Amino acid sequence: MRRIVVLAALLIALASQSAWAKTIVFASDATWPPMEFVGPDKEMTGFAIDYMKAAGKEAGFTPEFKAVAWDGIFAGLAANKYDAICSSVSITDERKNAMDFSIPYFKVRQALVVPVASNAKTLADMKGKTLGAQISTTGHFAVKKAEGVKDKSYDEVGLAIEDLFNGRIDGVVCDDPVAAQYALQNDKYKGKLKIAAIIETGEDEFYGIAVKKGDKETLALIDKGIKAVKDKGIEKELIKKWIGQ
Amino acid sequence: MQTQQTVPVIEQHDGPAIPRKSDKGLVSAWWLSLVVSVGTLLYLVLVEKGAYLRLVKFIPDGVLVTFQVTIYSIVLALFLGLLTGLGRVSRNRWINLIASTYVEIVRGIPLLVQLFYIYYALGRFVRVPDILAAVIAMAVCYGAYLGEIFRAGILAIDKGQTEAARSLGFNRAQTMRYVILPQAMRIILPPVGNEFIMLLKDTSLVSILAVADLLRRGREFASETFLYFETYTVVALVYLIITLLLSKLVSRLEERLSYYVKR
Repeated sequence: MRRIVVLAALLIALASQSAWAKTIVFASDATWPPMEFVGPDKEMTGFAIDYMKAAGKEAGFTPEFKAVAWDGIFAGLAANKYDAICSSVSITDERKNAMDFSIPYFKVRQALVVPVASNAKTLADMKGKTLGAQISTTGHFAVKKAEGVKDKSYDEVGLAIEDLFNGRIDGVVCDDPVAAQYALQNDKYKGKLKIAAIIETGEDEFYGIAVKKGDKETLALIDKGIKAVKDKGIEKELIKKWIGQ
Repeated sequence: MQTQQTVPVIEQHDGPAIPRKSDKGLVSAWWLSLVVSVGTLLYLVLVEKGAYLRLVKFIPDGVLVTFQVTIYSIVLALFLGLLTGLGRVSRNRWINLIASTYVEIVRGIPLLVQLFYIYYALGRFVRVPDILAAVIAMAVCYGAYLGEIFRAGILAIDKGQTEAARSLGFNRAQTMRYVILPQAMRIILPPVGNEFIMLLKDTSLVSILAVADLLRRGREFASETFLYFETYTVVALVYLIITLLLSKLVSRLEERLSYYVKR
């Protein structure tokens, strides 16, 4: 008898759990510190991961994170491999055609990282030089758009930074929190690299959570969570914890 | 006039698409693959247009880089392979030891790891340009494989050949150069051709070094436009066409080298 009661209680608990806690699987290319990266305990961590966990608590969904390589992360979303992408995806018009975006959760600018000895002040100073960026990021688009600059695309921004450190390229363009992480905080690169310029693109750039086009249910949940995180001041704490401003 | 065949002809079974001389017309695997792949590519570009046309304009410099890496690597790998093969059959135990150690070490490390190693790990000490790093890694890796093929080819030549050459007054080096190696070349060409084709396909790995080869150009295009199907269809077709051309070249070489046994 007791066994049946326990079983029934367990079933009810499970049922109610799934009733109010929908699981949303987020794909994340965890090579983008401090936004999302793999910590020393081999778990994904970072600003965006914490943000989504908090959003999940507020809006009532269970976030689950799946490590996916950046190159192909959008194809996986279209192929229903996961529900959403939480990977510092900047909201652009081209991307909006292919997927839907949540409300923005972080404002980002593109930063130019160069060796300390360089005296470049703007992107225009890099004429005739080679700039690296992670493949098909907004940083890569900025490099491609810059005149007279040779672009080189890497699978991960870390590899581009390492190549810059080794002297093969003259600069790297990436999101400013990532640039700050590598140039100012990373023990290996600190004092060797610096942020030369913040690139003005004329438009504000924001990170958003991408979901499959037309997936209104998931989008509503995520939007609700992000809004709550902003309103309750959790966002400020997270920024203080991860970005330090 | 046809004379009686005394030496067995080496049949070119190696490789799925290498036709024999007797294959006439369209019905050889090679022709079929070429016509289908070129036809599909032309259809996509000329009839479907749109994304395919943009792709074909986007990737040519990538094709060029793939070609460059392949050709430089093949030349360097052949040279390394010949040295290694000779070293492996050398009587000098030091040379033999060096050649064997090279094969053992290189054969035991995946090409992808070697690429990372030469580019990023050694990048701290020597600043090798990206294409050169790719070529070195490919050549070092394939040099070891080719070395084993060269060794097998040299050992496959009957001992009587050496004995005959030596008793005619050739020294060891002359025997190797004028008697053994020319015959070995004919034997090893099919497997070497196979290695060339594998090398060409493995150059797609160098896209990991931020070398703007065919695959990387395709990936850039795909992750920017989200046209994955279109992009990888074209990339696959272009690789296939290049490989088919290379395999034809190899089979032509085989025909020429086995000319005198076929008469």
